[in-house]
Amino acid sequence: MTINMEIFQQFAEQLPHLGEHAQPPQMTDAARVETARETFVRKLDGRMAVDLESCIHCGHCASACHFYVGTEDPKYAPIRKLDLLKRVYRRELSPLRWLHRLYTDDITVKDLQEWQELVYDSCTECGRCSMVCPMGINIAGMVNVMRQGMARAGMMPAELMAMEQEQGGHDSLFGVGPEQMKGAIAKLQEAGVDIPLDKHEADVLVTTSVIDIILFTDGLIATARIMNHLGLNWTLRSDGYEAANFGLLSGCERVQKIASEKIVLAARACGAKTVIIPECGHAYPSMRWEAANEHGGKLPFEVLAISEFLGREVKAGRLKLNTLGRDRKVTYHDPCKLARHSGTIEEPRWVLDALGVDFREVDSGRELNWCCGGGAGVFLINSASELRQQAFQVKIKQVEKTGADSVVTACGSCRLNFMNGSMRSNWDKGIESLVELVAEALPTH
Amino acid sequence: MTLLDFARGPALEWSLIIFVAGSLWRLVGALLVRRKRDLSEPRSRSTVAGGIRTVFSRMFPRKEFHSKTLFAVIAGYVLHFGLAITVFLFTPHILFIDGLLGISWPGIPNNLVMFAGVVTIATLVALLIRRMTTPLLKKISSADDYISWVMTLLPVLTGMMAYAHIGGPYQTVLAIHILTVEAMLIWFPFGKLFHAVLWIPSRAQMGAAMQRRGVKA
Repeated sequence: MTINMEIFQQFAEQLPHLGEHAQPPQMTDAARVETARETFVRKLDGRMAVDLESCIHCGHCASACHFYVGTEDPKYAPIRKLDLLKRVYRRELSPLRWLHRLYTDDITVKDLQEWQELVYDSCTECGRCSMVCPMGINIAGMVNVMRQGMARAGMMPAELMAMEQEQGGHDSLFGVGPEQMKGAIAKLQEAGVDIPLDKHEADVLVTTSVIDIILFTDGLIATARIMNHLGLNWTLRSDGYEAANFGLLSGCERVQKIASEKIVLAARACGAKTVIIPECGHAYPSMRWEAANEHGGKLPFEVLAISEFLGREVKAGRLKLNTLGRDRKVTYHDPCKLARHSGTIEEPRWVLDALGVDFREVDSGRELNWCCGGGAGVFLINSASELRQQAFQVKIKQVEKTGADSVVTACGSCRLNFMNGSMRSNWDKGIESLVELVAEALPTH
Repeated sequence: MTLLDFARGPALEWSLIIFVAGSLWRLVGALLVRRKRDLSEPRSRSTVAGGIRTVFSRMFPRKEFHSKTLFAVIAGYVLHFGLAITVFLFTPHILFIDGLLGISWPGIPNNLVMFAGVVTIATLVALLIRRMTTPLLKKISSADDYISWVMTLLPVLTGMMAYAHIGGPYQTVLAIHILTVEAMLIWFPFGKLFHAVLWIPSRAQMGAAMQRRGVKA
C-alpha cells in the first residue's frame, strides 16, 4: 500500500503555519525563570540526583547523538543539554549546595531562550546517548524534565505549543476532533471497512492518531482488517481514540494527563482488557509507562503497541500470514520509543519473519538503533528543519549499508520524517508500515 | 613540628576526616533525594539482576560505539591501572597503609612501579591535551576537570620525585608528596573524582530501569 503523496504534500505545506495558532502565555521574565526553576526542583528525583552527580565529562554521549554526529557542533553534546537542570540541582538540591551556590550561576531567561533549541530542536529524547554513557546517565529522561520546565515557562516552540493547546483546549489535533473522527470513520464504513465504533462492551480498545485519520488511512484500515480477521471483540471509541499526546511531547504535564486519561476512561467504559496503540512512537510510552503514574495506580488493562500485538499473535500461531516473497528486500527501523525505551524489539522481527521477506538487519539496530531525527515532536518544529535534515544523513548511511529496497517501521512520526527526509535528499528507498504489510499478507478465508 | 611531621600528623588526620565525612555526605545526600514509585506494569521484574549486569557491562562500550570511544576507554584503563599499581603495589605505600590500618599485601619491584608511574603521567598528559584541543571536550569541560587532573597528577609526580631523590631534600619532597595526596583526599568528595564511588549506583539504576522495560543496557 502506498500513501497519497498529494495529501502528504498538502500536509507538509501546512506545517510551516502551525505555530501561527499558538497563544504564548504573557509572563514576565522573572516569572518564567521562577516557573522553570520551580518545575525543575519539583521533578528532580533521586535517580536524577545520582545521574547529575556522576558525569565525568567524557563526551561519549555525543558520539551516539545523531544531531552531534550530523553537525559536529559541540553545542549539541547531549550532556550539555542538561546544563540548566544541573545548575538548578546544584544550587537547590545537591548535598553540596552550600558550596555550589558560591560559584554556580542561577538560570536566567537568556539561558532558557538559548536552551530551547537544545532541548526541543536538537533532541528527540531517543536515549541512544545513555547506551554509551560509562556512568549510565539517563539524559533523555532529564531532557524531558527540561521540556516540562520550559513548557510551563511558556518557552517551547510555537508549533508544539499550538498542538498542545489544541489538544488540551479543544480536544482536537490538526482540526480533527471526535466529530471529524466519526465522520472519517463513517466514510471508511461506507467504503466497506468494518470498524466497530463506540461499542459499549469490547475486549480490545484500538486507538488511532490524527496522522492515521488524515494521512495514513491505510494504516487504520489495515488495523481494522487484522482485528476483524482475528475475530476479536474490538472497538474504536470517539471518547478515547487519540493516542498522540502533545502534552508529553511539549512537556505540558496537564495536557499529558488529560490526553492519557481519555483513553483510560474509554477503556474502562467498554471494559477493555487490552488497549492497542497505533503506529505512533511516543504514544506507546505515554500509555505504557507514564499513564499509570498520572492516573495514580495500576491501569485495569494491558497496553500493547500494534507491532507488539502483531508479533505476539504471530508467535502464538493465531495470526497466519501469506509470505510476501524474498524478492522484497527490507530493513526495519526500530522506533526509539518502542525499542530502546520500551523493549518492543523481537515482536516486529517475528512478524517480518512470518512475512517471508528478505529481511536485512542494520548495523547498530535494535536497542542501539540510530534515531531518524523526527521524534519527540521535532518533525513539527520548523526551526529544526535543517538540523533534522543533517541528522537524517546518519540514517540514510545506516540504511544504505543494508542494501534493502525499503524501510519498514512501526511509527507514524518516523514514517513522516523518513518521507520528508527522503524527498529532500532525493533518496529512493520505500517507506513502509508494518501493520500495512501484515494486512497485505492476510490470507483470504 | 617539621613539614613531614605535619603531613604525617594533623594534615593526614584532617584530610582523612574530610575524605570520609565528605564522601558519605555527598553519597547519602544524593541517594536520599526522594524517588517516586513507578506504578506502571513492569515488563520484567528482574531489576536487581539488570542493575548488576549493567554495572559490569558498562566497563567496556558495545562494539557499535568502538570507533568513537576506544581511544578514551583504553587511555582510561591505562590511567586507572597505572594509578592502582603506583598506589597499592609500591612497598613503602603498603607499609604506610599497614601502619595506618594494620593490613598489608605483597608489593612489586620498585622499577615496575616507576614504569607504571611514567605511563600514568604520560596518559594524564595525553588526556589533558585531548581535553584542551578537542572542541567537544573543551565545550563540556569545567574547572572541576582541570582541578581533578592536577589533584591526580601531583601525588604521582611528587612520589616519583621523592623516590628518585630529585627536587630538594628527601624529607621535604616526601612531605610535599604526602601533602599532595592529602589535597587529593580533600578534593575527592567535591569534584568529579567522586565517580570512583558513583559509578556503581549510577550504572545500577540505569540497568534496573532498562531491565524493567525489557531492554538490556
